[in-house]
Amino acid sequence: MRKLIEFRNIVKTFDGQVVLKGVNLNIYENEFVTLLGPSGCGKTTLLRILGGFLEQDEGTVIFDGQCIDKVPPYRREINTVFQRYALFPHLNVYENIAFGLRIKKTGEDIIRQKVSRMLSLVNLEGYEKRKVTKLSGGQQQRVAIARALVNEPNVLLLDEPLGALDLKLRKEMQRELKRIQQEVGITFIYVTHDQEEALTMSDKIVVMNAGEIKQIGTPLEIYNEPVNAYVARFIGESNIVDGIMKEDYKVRFDDKNYECVDFGFRPDEPVDVLIRPEDIAIVSPGKGVMRGEVKSAIFKGVHYELMVETKTGVTKTVEMHVVTQHDKENQQAGEKISANDFFVDAEDLTEKEMTDADFVRIANAQAWDADNRDISLTKVTHNIENKPGVYEITFSTEKGTAVTVKVNVVSPEYVEDARHNIGISALDFFITAEEIQESMAISTDLKTWASAEAWNLQDDTSVEITDVKFDFDPATVTEGTYKITFATQGREYKVETTACHEVGDRVGLSFGPEDIHVMHKEVADA
Amino acid sequence: MKSFFRMSYPYILWIGFFIVAPMFMILLYAVTKGGNNTLTFHFTLENFGRFFSDPDFMRVLWTSLRIAFITTVVCILIGYPAALFIANLSERKQTMMILLMTLPMWINMLLKTYAWRGILMNFDDLSSEIKVFIGMVYDFLPYMIIQIHTAIAKLDRELLTASYDLGANKWQSFLKVTLPLSVPGIISGVTLVFLPAVSSFVIPKLLGGGNYVLIGTLIENYFLVAGDWNFGSAISLIMALIIIAAMYVTRKIDRGAEE
Amino acid sequence: MNEMKAKTRREHHFFRTGYLILVLLFIYLPIAYVMLFSFNDSKSMINFSGFSLRWYEEMINNQDMLESLKYTVIIAVIATVVSTVIGTVAAIGLSKARKIIRTVILEINNLPVLNPDIVTAIGLMLLFLSLKIRRSIVTMTLAHITFCIPYVILSVLPKLRQLDDNVAEAAMDLGATPVKALTKVIIPQIYPAIFSGALIAFSMSFDDFVISYFTAGMDVQNISMFVYSMKRFNPAVNALSAVIVVVVTVILILANLIPVLRDKKINKEEV
Repeated sequence: MRKLIEFRNIVKTFDGQVVLKGVNLNIYENEFVTLLGPSGCGKTTLLRILGGFLEQDEGTVIFDGQCIDKVPPYRREINTVFQRYALFPHLNVYENIAFGLRIKKTGEDIIRQKVSRMLSLVNLEGYEKRKVTKLSGGQQQRVAIARALVNEPNVLLLDEPLGALDLKLRKEMQRELKRIQQEVGITFIYVTHDQEEALTMSDKIVVMNAGEIKQIGTPLEIYNEPVNAYVARFIGESNIVDGIMKEDYKVRFDDKNYECVDFGFRPDEPVDVLIRPEDIAIVSPGKGVMRGEVKSAIFKGVHYELMVETKTGVTKTVEMHVVTQHDKENQQAGEKISANDFFVDAEDLTEKEMTDADFVRIANAQAWDADNRDISLTKVTHNIENKPGVYEITFSTEKGTAVTVKVNVVSPEYVEDARHNIGISALDFFITAEEIQESMAISTDLKTWASAEAWNLQDDTSVEITDVKFDFDPATVTEGTYKITFATQGREYKVETTACHEVGDRVGLSFGPEDIHVMHKEVADA
Repeated sequence: MKSFFRMSYPYILWIGFFIVAPMFMILLYAVTKGGNNTLTFHFTLENFGRFFSDPDFMRVLWTSLRIAFITTVVCILIGYPAALFIANLSERKQTMMILLMTLPMWINMLLKTYAWRGILMNFDDLSSEIKVFIGMVYDFLPYMIIQIHTAIAKLDRELLTASYDLGANKWQSFLKVTLPLSVPGIISGVTLVFLPAVSSFVIPKLLGGGNYVLIGTLIENYFLVAGDWNFGSAISLIMALIIIAAMYVTRKIDRGAEE
Repeated sequence: MNEMKAKTRREHHFFRTGYLILVLLFIYLPIAYVMLFSFNDSKSMINFSGFSLRWYEEMINNQDMLESLKYTVIIAVIATVVSTVIGTVAAIGLSKARKIIRTVILEINNLPVLNPDIVTAIGLMLLFLSLKIRRSIVTMTLAHITFCIPYVILSVLPKLRQLDDNVAEAAMDLGATPVKALTKVIIPQIYPAIFSGALIAFSMSFDDFVISYFTAGMDVQNISMFVYSMKRFNPAVNALSAVIVVVVTVILILANLIPVLRDKKINKEEV
């Protein structure tokens, strides 16, 4: 196939931001090429440079063997379908389509012929005299396509033309565009951020991000063999796991070696491992290469999307002491006050500056008057030191209503999981049955009451505690001591399956070597 | 929220008294006679007859219309390119330009006209018509520029891009896209220039001298000098009707341009 | 090829800038001329004989001129305030009216705008005189208010129509009375339109001649009337014009600089 367009080292900067970082790309005759990427990746900029509406800062554009850098847009044999159509509001459908032909001083009868042909191509026969402003989005879209195509360009540029249409219309138009491209037989260069659109229509997809081309390939190539995690995540659903390529055809992840079909990596190179959800099969727990527990099951119409946890995360168990609190009453002032005993981490006392307000909050200290309106606690006195031990703290109101509770300063053990780089900590705590019953989100509140936190051991970033296990009924809990276990997320795999499974099922996961795709890790920009 | 409508009651009273009633007064005076400071109820159409049958009056009417027309055309010829060039400037420069153009609009019209009187004293040999004409164009030009500029600035830039994409060069794109789409602005400008120009009487009086008479001057005469309120009202009514007719026509053109 | 493109672009720039400069020169010619001659030693408007401040002295000493300036400002301020209030209230009321009523009232509202001012002026004069109301500063102010209100409405109403109805309703849902919803929700949102309407009203009143001429009594004059009625040419008018030009320029500069400075300050605080 003939090479039609060549981008050589295109660099473009806007306001100090480099939008295109030296892009090289070849486009051939009769191709349907899609530039795919998120907003801001530079795809529209590249398109506009080709159309002649923007000038590149460096690099050349070669069209049909000739450099077209200096050629103004009205003399390039390229036409564009714009994102917001840009139909001329003062002209009707016929005149809009005929615009380019009139500029070229084509004869009237030829114009009539060509416009009619275009109208039937886009299925808008009979719409000649209509006002473009009165057409629906889909119809305007088709007029825009006709207006561009009637000039018989070698290349048609389409800048996210289907963005404003609703889903059903969009899918219909995608089929139309593909049909038109094949019927007319010219090169389409299509820009979109919608990966499904790209997969549906293109002969070739160019995946872009941050001004660079990440991968070029057919839809199948890009889907099955994405070159790195970014591309893999952009197209289709993925499970991406950190791994090590031991040697050709063998990769290690999740504590196990797996046979795979990739090669050409350095021995023990850190890699990203991709397994598509539809390539994992659910089998009985004994028969799979991994086993786990179904954490969620969502019905998607065509299949179920399951999240299966193969490895639990790091856990910490604490004790919850449910006590009955007696409110203290100050009959003279007509006030009541209450507070809970509480636990405090000795390290928090030293590292964070804990204020009176913090203590009020942790002790759930409150005061109220005869009408049940809140009264502020104006005085807080304590003898707390940051050594383990039992201390006292007194909360009082202006009128002297006070309550004293015990403060247990502890230095609890953290649980650190060096292998997974995660640490977790939580404290025992005191709580009343009423507070438990009043809670509207018990798992979240348990985390708060126990000051439960988890973090990444290497960079100290916060890790979510996804699992809170307890075995009491919040509605009927009575005084006593209960165990609460907090856990971070371990490893989860997204699996697509047509069989119905329920949360809590223990299952096995099965996949073969050809389902594993190993990718180089993306190097972060310096 | 219907209760909010009650808020407009005071206003409705106001316009009833201060806008509708005066119109009725003019109408009444125009169709009666023997006024001269009092309103009689002798209905007659002789005031109108008197106006249309007198060649002098017709000449005055014709002059007013002619001057207003030429002023408008000149304002368009000078103002359109100015508006176009301003619209193509960077946003900051545009704001500054618009500011510069509109600053004189804040200065009292009489003071500006008086200034021209001073300047034109240097050119005594110019005909009074030309002097009046300069004064008018000067006074109305900023309005035309602003109206056209607003219309052009509102245009979707992408339309010009589409036009280039389809093979039209800059001049062709201007003729086929920018110009037709800016017509509403021109029409707006025309209503802001032609109509006040027809009824103007200050500028002709100050720059044209006592002998240069337009309709506005006529009306002033018949009210304040001759004391013939009926005739004066009739002329006012005729002028008001001409203007309403003109507005109606321009609105039709505007509607037609939309369709 | 590239050079040719750049050259024609430069030529275009020249032409464009040149044209705009010419237009600006035309627009500022009388202003500059008047300011120059306000410092003229002699009475002439043709020959500049020397530098002098005598016309400024003359202006300060001219009681009639100063009085007319005073009246102009007073009437403009009163008319602006009253018309802004009535106009805003009316616009709010009208935005909730049925379409038919609103269209009719708006058409009537536009009469003073569309009509040549001489017709409005005559109408008001006939009204006052037929009712045997003596013309005075009161009638003049009433007339000013009348022709200012339409501009306020024309500025405020479109902004009101643009507003999201839901916001005011949400306010009332959260417990605000209609009055509170009005003051705390609606008015803050349309504030810019009210302000620009008031501005237009002020400039219309300040600049007015024809309507004032026909509705003022013997004892009142605004600047326009004063200038119009001068029997002989008095160069002190040049001084007055120069002063007004400077004041207007300063106000416009401030009006445009203050938002810019305020934004800069906010940006600094954020950093």
